[in-house]
Amino acid sequence: MTTLKTYLYDEHLKLGAKIVPFAGWDMPVQYTSVKDEVLAVRQNVGVFDVSHMGEFFVEGEDAEQFVDAVLTNDIINAPVAKAVYSPLCRDNGTVIDDLIVYKLAPGRIMICVNASNTDKDFNWIKSKHVGYKCSLTNRSNDFSLLAIQGPKTYETLLPLFSELPDIEYYSVYETTFEGESVIAARTGYTGEDGFEIFGRHETIKALWQKLISLRVTPCGLAARDVLRLEVGYPLYGHEINDETTPYDAGLGWAVKHSKTKFIGKEALADKKANYKTIKLILEKGIPREGYPVLNSANEPIGIITSGTMSVVLNKGIAMARIQIDKVPSDEVALVDIRQKPYPAQITKKPFVTGGHK
Amino acid sequence: MATNIPGNLKYTKEHEWTLIEGDTVTIGITDFAQSALGDIVFLEVPEVGTHLNAGATFGVVESIKSVSDLYSPVTGEVVARNSDLEGSPEKINEDAYGSWLIKVKANNTSEFNNLLSAEQYQEFCNSSH
Repeated sequence: MTTLKTYLYDEHLKLGAKIVPFAGWDMPVQYTSVKDEVLAVRQNVGVFDVSHMGEFFVEGEDAEQFVDAVLTNDIINAPVAKAVYSPLCRDNGTVIDDLIVYKLAPGRIMICVNASNTDKDFNWIKSKHVGYKCSLTNRSNDFSLLAIQGPKTYETLLPLFSELPDIEYYSVYETTFEGESVIAARTGYTGEDGFEIFGRHETIKALWQKLISLRVTPCGLAARDVLRLEVGYPLYGHEINDETTPYDAGLGWAVKHSKTKFIGKEALADKKANYKTIKLILEKGIPREGYPVLNSANEPIGIITSGTMSVVLNKGIAMARIQIDKVPSDEVALVDIRQKPYPAQITKKPFVTGGHK
Repeated sequence: MATNIPGNLKYTKEHEWTLIEGDTVTIGITDFAQSALGDIVFLEVPEVGTHLNAGATFGVVESIKSVSDLYSPVTGEVVARNSDLEGSPEKINEDAYGSWLIKVKANNTSEFNNLLSAEQYQEFCNSSH
């Protein structure tokens, strides 16, 4: 299988990026140092090329109704210019993907999905697109996407656009960069303040070059993964997958049973979870995906779904999927690292508090 | 890509360097290896007195995003471990050849013949990348 390349691929090579295959794409995993890239985003500003992600457009008078009927979260009652995070479920309640809906204008919605799921999502949504007065188009190939993240994002971006109001977190604004239209969303996957800028390939390439010239730190997928894990955000294929429901992944808050209908409503009605997704922090040892999790009596209770060394805390951190009837009551667990048990504290709060508004 | 390969050391295809003094072998990871791993954050090496078999794993080195096994180039007993690296494994990134991991007293010095010279290791790095 040949891998896809984003429009910025040559820019990454110029900066000496290490390239790895990810979700069918050749993507920059790091430029200089994962640690430096994480700290740039926590303390300053960094930029990620996330053009591999998919963009769908739903346009027409029934756009809100249609998207609301497909997704578990409430789309209809969100104001125009808001962004809404939502799982996309099957009729049996398992998660096809998690995604963000951008309400660009009345009757005009953009949906941003995970790269690995783009075709699966589009085919599923398309299969439900019957009887609605709205179009559904997969425009993933038309768009490049940059995530600019960190406390200095706004002051860095403000002079570059024709206008860029200080919009709320999880909202969206259409503006121009060098005369070309772009969609500026105050969203991200790092827990920090930041924007995601969607635009045509040439426009986004020019923006990337501008940001690099302004010494914004280019950041790769490795830093992105550490950043999202430090703030406890789930990742499809890890905390969420084809076999889990939103309740298994702690995403019950994004399932709105008050809606008259949505795909998976009946299956999810009892709000029952088979698993609980928990956060673990270790004083010693680094938990990694697939490592077994044990209770203090050494009995297996679950598995690490994502783990890393936290750059900010300098400790091992992880998310784990635990069988619902085996969640320890004493807030203590063990992680089996190379056949040795390492003590882990169960924590409810994010490992790191991001600075987003 | 690998440019820093001192001529006085011997190497393995697992990107380890060795310094041979009599029957004692000092073992570390190469500059190529530290660069490929990125920020090293955790190191696990055996206690003094542990018996190692040539070709078997004896520990791990972890970067923020990866875990890599360490393979013993020789059969023998661990006679020292570098306590300078405990708590600061990032020193390997700063100076791979100055940051030895363990010293092993080899049972059979003929195993040294299996190690690569600097030229052979350079060639190996070039061909595999």
